[in-house]
Amino acid sequence: MTLDLSRVITQITDMVATVDPDHDRHRFDALRHLWETLDSNEVNSRLSNAKTSFLYASGSSDYRRVHALPALPDSFGVVATDGSMIVPDRHSPARYYLINTGTVHLRYGESPAAVMSATPDLRYAEDDLWVDTEARKLPVNDTILGLRRAVAELQAAAEALQSERLPSVAFVDGTLILWALESLDKPIVEPLLKSYVQALEAFTSLNQPVAGYISSPGATDLLGTLRVAICDYPDMGRTIDCNDCWKQLTEHGQIPHCEILPRVTDRYIVSQIAAIAPGQRTNVFPGRSKILARYGDDQWVEFFYLHTGREIARIEVPRWVARDPELLDRVHSVAFDQAQLGRGYPVALQEAHEQAVLSMADRRLVEETIERRLASHGVIVTHTGKDGSKRGRFV
Amino acid sequence: MAVSSSAVGNRLGEVIETSTTGFIAESDELHRLPDLGALVCVGGLDDSRAYYGVVAYGATGGLDTSRKAVRRGGDHLADAAIYSRHPELELILRTVFSVAVIGYRDGPGFRHVLPALPVPLHYSVHGCDQSTIASFCAAPRYLAALLNYNGEIMPEQIVAAHFRWIDNQLNDNHAWLADATRRLARLMKRDYDRLAIVLEAVAPD
Repeated sequence: MTLDLSRVITQITDMVATVDPDHDRHRFDALRHLWETLDSNEVNSRLSNAKTSFLYASGSSDYRRVHALPALPDSFGVVATDGSMIVPDRHSPARYYLINTGTVHLRYGESPAAVMSATPDLRYAEDDLWVDTEARKLPVNDTILGLRRAVAELQAAAEALQSERLPSVAFVDGTLILWALESLDKPIVEPLLKSYVQALEAFTSLNQPVAGYISSPGATDLLGTLRVAICDYPDMGRTIDCNDCWKQLTEHGQIPHCEILPRVTDRYIVSQIAAIAPGQRTNVFPGRSKILARYGDDQWVEFFYLHTGREIARIEVPRWVARDPELLDRVHSVAFDQAQLGRGYPVALQEAHEQAVLSMADRRLVEETIERRLASHGVIVTHTGKDGSKRGRFV
Repeated sequence: MAVSSSAVGNRLGEVIETSTTGFIAESDELHRLPDLGALVCVGGLDDSRAYYGVVAYGATGGLDTSRKAVRRGGDHLADAAIYSRHPELELILRTVFSVAVIGYRDGPGFRHVLPALPVPLHYSVHGCDQSTIASFCAAPRYLAALLNYNGEIMPEQIVAAHFRWIDNQLNDNHAWLADATRRLARLMKRDYDRLAIVLEAVAPD
């Protein structure tokens, strides 16, 4: 059934009426004042022994520094990959998953060229479908498959760059930080992490930077830094300690001082408060997720924010790239150029997505091919009742 | 399956949709397609056959029809430079052309009637050399079929384009054109208005 908008429109009107743009004005004023008077030295001194419950941007001598757009190389390459999946479906008789990796390789400058392809990989072996933990065997879930897809994307990008002589940048869609691993069991984490870091290392060997491109990021690292800056614990001669602050809140009703700051994202701070201009980027800051310790120093993920003209994007690069001014400039200028060509989002990533995407028709085709082949081997597959109801929707 | 040597020409494209009355071909090269009204040829499933048609429409657009072209340029980037700045365009656009089938070669002779079978899918579309054009179009009995072709543009425009094209190819002091025009006039004697459209569009220089 399609949505009957007329039945929701009154509720939408009521909801919009409750949004008061002036309600939090004093909080936004506090945010702006804090940013404009930010003392980076003081912040760094606080960060040196702060125990926070949130991530923050660190390691800058001037957190508000803005970098101008560098020139593009004369001739350069761009590789982008994206993956799409068919996951094991409980209602399907076949046990397999498929990762379709789209790869786009573009050259700009003297001899423009384009190569695009998609490579499907179907897995069905016991080892592929089940993961051994110490206690038991677990079926692979969407999280694990998502991580395998991320590895496949990196591997495809590195492979595309094997024969590339031009200075290039490889883009993948999304973060390079495997947040999802933090919640998984160790026996599952180890092999995934190992293959991911190995995939990242391939770019170091090629001396071609890889970057994760995040459109409209929800990250709040810079906000975290500002919360540290405004914290009142140092004013009382104490080191910053969010655990203690939480206790004060729950036991004594003491509101944390950083609550004065509105809950905004970094992209808001960068575009509205710092107000960087299109083409400009912030400093590069190191990621602080726990999982990064397992990446090693060279592959430790760092990030910066870039004004693409249309929005603030978060670009993540391994430390070995961030440390090299030429490579960092290349990632900066190429990411911006790609976003212009793509009318707001890197054109290479858009095309990689188009290569990778699997339509309903593609998915049905894979299923039906498998069923036909099984049938020719004498195995007749039956569908569950629920699956049948979705295939033949009747009135 | 080789196309008969009597219809040798550079390959223009490949049949991607086919039916009794005509076919659609995708050009081998973006933006390049045979002229409107040109005679083209497709090989048959056996050596003795070849199919002939008149180009009746052309278009360039997204390979995936759900993706629409958007403006890529502006003050600082236009025309051919857009393709250098967007190398992926060569891979995601395509040029197609429609052809009205008007006859076929059967053994030594030509027949100006619709073939029994549609042109084979995925076969090459070739241009025709001058001697083939002269032979096939010698006594054009396919004009009625062409006038009734149901395509994207008015059949009168296709006929006019075809007349101009053949006249140009044969370079025979408009001899063929005069004969073809007389045949057309006989066909359209009850429809002077439509005939006038064709004649005005043809008007030799």
